[in-house]
Amino acid sequence: MRLILLFAAFVLLGLAFESAVPHLVSFRALIPNLIIILVVDLGLRHHGVLPAMLAFAMGYATDALAGSHPGLNAFMMTMVFVVSYEISTRLMVTNALVGATVVFFGVIATALATVALADGFGALSHTGALLPGLTLKAAISAIVAPLIFSMLAASKRMTGLPARAMRE
Amino acid sequence: MRGGFLWRNRVLLTSGALLIVSLHLISTGVHPGDLAARPESAFLEIVSPIDAAFTRLSDGASSIVTDYLDLLHVREENARLRNELALVKSDRARLAELEVENRHLGEMLELKDVLGANAVAANVIGSDATGLSRTLILASGSSDGLRPGMAVLANQGVVGKIIAISPHASRVLLIDDHNSALDGFDQRSRARGIVAGLVDDGLILKYADRSQDIRTGDTIVTSGLDGIFPRGLLVGTIESVHRAGPGLFLGVTIEPAVDFRQLEQVLIVTQPPPHLDDPGKD
Repeated sequence: MRLILLFAAFVLLGLAFESAVPHLVSFRALIPNLIIILVVDLGLRHHGVLPAMLAFAMGYATDALAGSHPGLNAFMMTMVFVVSYEISTRLMVTNALVGATVVFFGVIATALATVALADGFGALSHTGALLPGLTLKAAISAIVAPLIFSMLAASKRMTGLPARAMRE
Repeated sequence: MRGGFLWRNRVLLTSGALLIVSLHLISTGVHPGDLAARPESAFLEIVSPIDAAFTRLSDGASSIVTDYLDLLHVREENARLRNELALVKSDRARLAELEVENRHLGEMLELKDVLGANAVAANVIGSDATGLSRTLILASGSSDGLRPGMAVLANQGVVGKIIAISPHASRVLLIDDHNSALDGFDQRSRARGIVAGLVDDGLILKYADRSQDIRTGDTIVTSGLDGIFPRGLLVGTIESVHRAGPGLFLGVTIEPAVDFRQLEQVLIVTQPPPHLDDPGKD
């Protein structure tokens, strides 16, 4: 329950930030993808059925504020969770660097997959112009990720949740 | 059983089931009134006040930064003049803002008069959370008489249509989104086509026959045939026309009439156009 409430609060603030800030910053690539960072943290540090469902719910919440195909972000966030979970089960340590790397590739992969799923794979041929901005957004998200991870860890310690994966 | 296959793979199996649910949602779509639309609507309702607060905060932060930069510039002058200048600037900025807001509202009222009483004004409080699609969040919802599918306009032209709604908030799919399409025509040559957005930003006129006389600078307006947008509303101007290549249709790009990033207020047409004409008959 504490995990749900903690992530719900972070998702609410993250989504409100991501949808409100474009009014201030016209260049969208400068705004990090906060939801992916939260999902990566879930996948790397919380192994269970509830975190998987939370990742799906976070994606579905994003669908309420983004895109025109409900379920698309839910699918992407579940995929990011699975990849993060699989990586964490194969690595000895899941530190901020691993998290930031997953976030970087996660932002790019989910964006391209979103275009492919929403418009068909043919639309990927038009994504050339998107890539520089997308790479910048991924880099900014990866840079911000350790900060969000430490904020999450501090919040987890305050609420009595484990801040690290059980193996670490 | 803890050592069993299901228990060992519970995370992957749950994730797999959730991926299938997501794919089902994507393929079937979620319609207003569906059970699956309720969490989406509830979340939009919960987030919209926070979103509006964030927008106010970010606007406030922006004006603080602007004021601070202004003050830094004036600091080189003496203290009295600096204070006086800051006050004058602050007053002028406030008056200018009031003037702009007044002009916007005046133009919106004019547009509302043109549309008749079937329009509702709404404030823009946010944009697409991922940035991959082009959507806006409005601070008005079903309690203000809005419904999915309604046309959204600005004083400069067409903005988009409502795709999701909650009691006090709604989401608008902009016409330059890659999933958006509306029926439009060239005001000069009467050539028809489908105005659609592109993945990599921009607006095009699809399915315009190669024999049609479409030129750079022509105005594209709505035909009203889609039953959503009233006829004759400005969409944009033709930016370029490509006739090269073996295709059946022209490659036409459009410069939108509306600057979607600068939108603060919009009008929502609460009733579809009463009479639909074929633009080709004019």
